[in-house]
Amino acid sequence: MIERHLHALQFEDPGLEETAATRERLRALFPRGATRRMTQLGLLLGSVLDPLHPAEEDALVYASSFGESRALHDYLASFPTASPTLFQTSIHPSAIQQVLVARQQPVREFFPFGGRAQLVAHAVEAALLAPSPRTILCGGEERILPPGDSGTASPVGFAFALALGADRAAALGTLRLEESPAPAGELALAEFFAALRDRRPLDQPVAPGMRLVLTWL
Amino acid sequence: MPIEAADCRTPFGDARATCDALRAGRRALTLQPVLGEAGGDAVPLATLPGRRLDETAPPAWLSCLDGLAGAVPAAPWGDARHPVFVTSSNFGVGSLYAFSRDQDRRHLEFCTPFALVEGLRRRFGWGGNVAVLSHACVSAHLGLRQASRVLQAGRAERALVFTFDFISPFVAGGFHALKILNPELPAPYAVRPTGSIGLGDGAAFAVLGRNGAGFSLSAQTLHNEMHHFTANRAGGAGFAAALEPVAAAARGRRVWLKGHGTGTLDAGRLEAEAFARQFPGAPLVSWKGALGHTLGSCGLVELALALAAVRGGEAPGTVGSAPPCFVDTVATAPFATRDYDGVVLASNAFGGAHAACLLTHD
Amino acid sequence: MGDPLKSRLKQLIVSTLKLEDVAPEAIADDAPLIGSGLSLDSIDALELVVAVEKEFGVKIASAEESRAALTSVAHLAAYIRLHAPPGRPPG
Repeated sequence: MIERHLHALQFEDPGLEETAATRERLRALFPRGATRRMTQLGLLLGSVLDPLHPAEEDALVYASSFGESRALHDYLASFPTASPTLFQTSIHPSAIQQVLVARQQPVREFFPFGGRAQLVAHAVEAALLAPSPRTILCGGEERILPPGDSGTASPVGFAFALALGADRAAALGTLRLEESPAPAGELALAEFFAALRDRRPLDQPVAPGMRLVLTWL
Repeated sequence: MPIEAADCRTPFGDARATCDALRAGRRALTLQPVLGEAGGDAVPLATLPGRRLDETAPPAWLSCLDGLAGAVPAAPWGDARHPVFVTSSNFGVGSLYAFSRDQDRRHLEFCTPFALVEGLRRRFGWGGNVAVLSHACVSAHLGLRQASRVLQAGRAERALVFTFDFISPFVAGGFHALKILNPELPAPYAVRPTGSIGLGDGAAFAVLGRNGAGFSLSAQTLHNEMHHFTANRAGGAGFAAALEPVAAAARGRRVWLKGHGTGTLDAGRLEAEAFARQFPGAPLVSWKGALGHTLGSCGLVELALALAAVRGGEAPGTVGSAPPCFVDTVATAPFATRDYDGVVLASNAFGGAHAACLLTHD
Repeated sequence: MGDPLKSRLKQLIVSTLKLEDVAPEAIADDAPLIGSGLSLDSIDALELVVAVEKEFGVKIASAEESRAALTSVAHLAAYIRLHAPPGRPPG
């Protein structure tokens, strides 16, 4: 069993908000001129990370199934004169890099995860195993309706960030991975986000041998 | 962390065949149109034999991964005690590019990282304990780091790290737009007026955890500058931050160095100088002048090659480079490995990401 | 009388790089484009190179050549005039 305690939680739940509206709403959080190249995912993650003040000695674990889908599709549309900005922006984990580069904030350990059914399981495992005094676990998706009904993007946008530490004092809750006899399990990122947003407990298998328990104090 | 097994696939074949080719000074890179069927400037690319740059449905590289997966030591991979860590920078983005051009929906099952990995999981008979990590050109190092951490915590008996990156017009077009994929073959660490990288197909695996047969990952470090997407902090502070802990772990050992060395000028100089400061006199090589940059897979492809080099008693030199170089410790010719008992391997990525490890052997 | 090519380049800079609060005429001919008051960086420079190549038919081969051509609007205009293909005078 491995566990850490939640000491801070931030979330963005813009649902169907378009990127231009997100940029207008959040622009004041970023250095002047920085948001012109930022994606919706970068803006949302910047908003949730800002109050947590990531530091170099933190471990940062990031989870996203679709990543920079808007930049990806816009980059494809730029061919044959491929856009270097969109190429750069489309590469996972660009959203976090957009935020931290704008703030010139180095971080020693940074683990960007992809996947879907076991994405939360493995991201949480990485966060709970990180030896740093504080780990920031964050994630999200941006909203885009890609052409051709390709299933290559999320229809809703959201983002979350939580700070985890070993100290139980003044904690909001506890995040734990227990051993489980169950041979299978899954938890999608959107479901995890909803539980955090609504302060709902979780207790379910999330991967072979892993049971995730989220409790609130 | 003991390394039980490792191998790779490049256009030259497995690790042993690739190492032999590198020792002979051969290049897999040839000048090809950057956009494949759509043409464009001729740039250095290295694809698997018979594979075109444009993706087919299903992808032509699947058979390569079949062969690689078949070489992995048998275990109930993907169950609770045998996790798999799949790492890549681009996954099936070549299929997404192809779909955007021809609307053939057979590409879709390869287009997203999660769909592609789920398909591979079923294809190779792995269980559901498959993690997906992606951080550009340090992806494979992250897989090794996280796999090691899970093992050290007693949460697994053995761990499989499986990595791949296959080039496409999507990727080649992007690097060409960044003006670093140019019509000259790369010469890592060499002093020249303009720099150029090459891109190559690559895949590899490593099994960690049990009997290491004499090889271990004795130190692993990470650092992320977050200074700029495509440039490092002046003075090489980011490189130093990643290499200093490895240098401390290597104290008392005689090591040679496998750098990132893509063929760019600024980063190449900073990296070479950082290595020379931390490991005075240690020979430095990069094999990307021959194989191209295999992107997310490079950390593990090149680890497998380093293992093959040590087993074979001779490390390939930096193919494609000749003096003058940024530092005089760049080894442009093969050299014997018998006098060394360790290798420092490093990779770097966009955003100023750095990863380094120390491979030790008896 | 202003140089029409330089005016066109200033418009291109603002539109390509989405500089919402910058008026094209406020960009000085000889002001450094990268790392200056516009806060442009090397990725902006490359994006501008793509736009210039498409608009004027010139070819800027490498990152090193990009840096030299994009020293300022005046430098860029001179580069385009020198390298524009025959039959596509830049103005």
